[in-house]
Amino acid sequence: MKRYLLADGLIWVLLGIGICAGSVTLKLGDFRTPGAGFLPFFAGLLLGISGFILMLSTLFSQEKAQRDEAEGRDRTGRHFRRFVTPAVTMAILFGYVLLLDLLGFLLTTFICLSLLFKLSEPERWVRPLLLSCSVAVLSYFVFSVWLQCQLPKGLLKFW
Amino acid sequence: MSGILENLSLGCQVAFSMGNLFYCFLGVLIGTLIGVLPGIGPVGTISLLLPVTFGISPTSAIIMLAGIYYGAQYGGSTTSILVNIPGEATSVVTCLDGYQMARQGRAGPALGIAAFGSFIAGTIGTIIVMLVAVPLSSVALRFGPPEYFSLIILALAILSYLAHGSVVKAVIMAILGVSLSQIGIDGVTGRTRFTFGLLGLQDGLGLVPVVMGLFGVAEVLENLERSLNIEVFKTRIRHLLPNLKDWAESIGAIIRGSFLGFFLGILPGGGAIISTFVSYALEKKLSKHPETFGQGAIAGVAGPESANNASSSGAFIPLFTLGFPSNAITALLLGALMIHGVQPGPALIEKHPDIFWGTIISMYIGNVMLVILNLPLIGLWVKILKVPYKILFPVLLLLCIIGSYSTNNSRFDVLIMLIFGVIGYVFRKFGYELAPLIIAFVLGPMLETSLRQSLLISKGDVSIFFTRPISVACLAIALVLLVSPIILRQSRRIRAKIT
Repeated sequence: MKRYLLADGLIWVLLGIGICAGSVTLKLGDFRTPGAGFLPFFAGLLLGISGFILMLSTLFSQEKAQRDEAEGRDRTGRHFRRFVTPAVTMAILFGYVLLLDLLGFLLTTFICLSLLFKLSEPERWVRPLLLSCSVAVLSYFVFSVWLQCQLPKGLLKFW
Repeated sequence: MSGILENLSLGCQVAFSMGNLFYCFLGVLIGTLIGVLPGIGPVGTISLLLPVTFGISPTSAIIMLAGIYYGAQYGGSTTSILVNIPGEATSVVTCLDGYQMARQGRAGPALGIAAFGSFIAGTIGTIIVMLVAVPLSSVALRFGPPEYFSLIILALAILSYLAHGSVVKAVIMAILGVSLSQIGIDGVTGRTRFTFGLLGLQDGLGLVPVVMGLFGVAEVLENLERSLNIEVFKTRIRHLLPNLKDWAESIGAIIRGSFLGFFLGILPGGGAIISTFVSYALEKKLSKHPETFGQGAIAGVAGPESANNASSSGAFIPLFTLGFPSNAITALLLGALMIHGVQPGPALIEKHPDIFWGTIISMYIGNVMLVILNLPLIGLWVKILKVPYKILFPVLLLLCIIGSYSTNNSRFDVLIMLIFGVIGYVFRKFGYELAPLIIAFVLGPMLETSLRQSLLISKGDVSIFFTRPISVACLAIALVLLVSPIILRQSRRIRAKIT
């Protein structure tokens, strides 16, 4: 667990270094005429320093790390199972973005919602399909027809 | 005095127009709804509805969005009292005595005193905003770029200091927020920064997709980890009007909570949440029967509920006088003003009196609407509580997608929202607070502009920040706030070793 906490600080140190390096290529300027990289450079520097302080505090807080480690051991099995639903949900949503322009709002929303409803009711088919169909159509009428949002039509251009 | 009356009459004209009354009602209705529903907060809702407000006037937009903000504080108490699950973080304390009252068959007076307390606190808060905002904004008009720069640093330091977890992690979030705000074309040099050649990033990261991802999507993902099976405590809700004894026990708590909440609400960060805990502790200390707290003491509901409502009024002070957000919600309101072409800051009250005074009067009206909505319609809110989360979450995600897409009709914004959803989820897992990130993200461009202007005025001499009294005072307080937790922790450790 302590390793993860150390990695937590290390990520910020690396990100800070990255921002500083990016800022230098943007030109820092000087105090009289600050360049495009001036503020980002100092932000990156402070981020790196804060990450380093976080690493140090993790190293020196033995007690907390041991406690976290014990907790970590205790819950590893259940821990990973808990992340399955959020991970699948995100995968469905990223798929939604990929298909949105191609299939259009109505079809993509129907497919995406069916999968999301099915995720919470794996044993049923009819209710998730009915729910997703009604929510997709209702949201289309509210947002596209009533509020005039420019939602992509995709395959259903004729509608 | 005549000036205030004139402005109040202007505010009445604006707020009592049919359109604005409708938007005020819509705002408080949605606010109560999302306050009742655990798993969606005012931040996610306001960011969701931000694109919907593009077609209406800025005044109507702010009236509606502000209604959602203070309406959510009302609604949050319902779940705390009936379900023992706080609808909002600011209603956590209400669970302690509110739920106990419901178990004793006194759900009605608990809900009643929460609504009346919120109404009184909302009204007191609105009156103070009205009286304090104008003189404060005229003081703020004298602020130059160095003062603004130092004030932003102070605001970020307070945010980090008041963070619930590690101060270092809160500081990291604030710095990350500033860094993210730098993405896009630099307004002065015209150079693109950190866009990695992506066209979608040239205008910078949009506030709506970032907020929706961090607050909306991340919150849904976190809720998906655990089953949110809500069981409403089965009790008949009757006698919503508290009796004289209830009033006698609560009125002091309501008034103290109102003032406490208002002034803590001005502070950047978790002012609203802190005010509820402070109010509860204060009432327990002042009570003749402190042992009844946690067992169903009505003052334990009245004080914190008043405090959280008054703090939502207090949060408008820095927004209207300085153009500073004090929490994620006012950051969104600031964003909404900017999207509508209104420049927030000390000149806002002078240049756009209709927005300021219209919003103030609408807050009075909104508070009356909320009492009407919350007491007679309590049965309806209880029914809504029973909607299963497995049905709710796909709809919430769909609304997030539509909200972020329709801002620019861009699929890229939806992608940004999803990426920030994952980032927000991971941050929550690792104990990072998101409020400093979003406030720093909004204040980042203002910070850079004031830094550049200050250095330009002083011809590159950084002592400009340390020679002007307001600026140096802000920086000194910021330094004390950031360093004091480390010193305190070290001294505690040394003391522990000695003993």
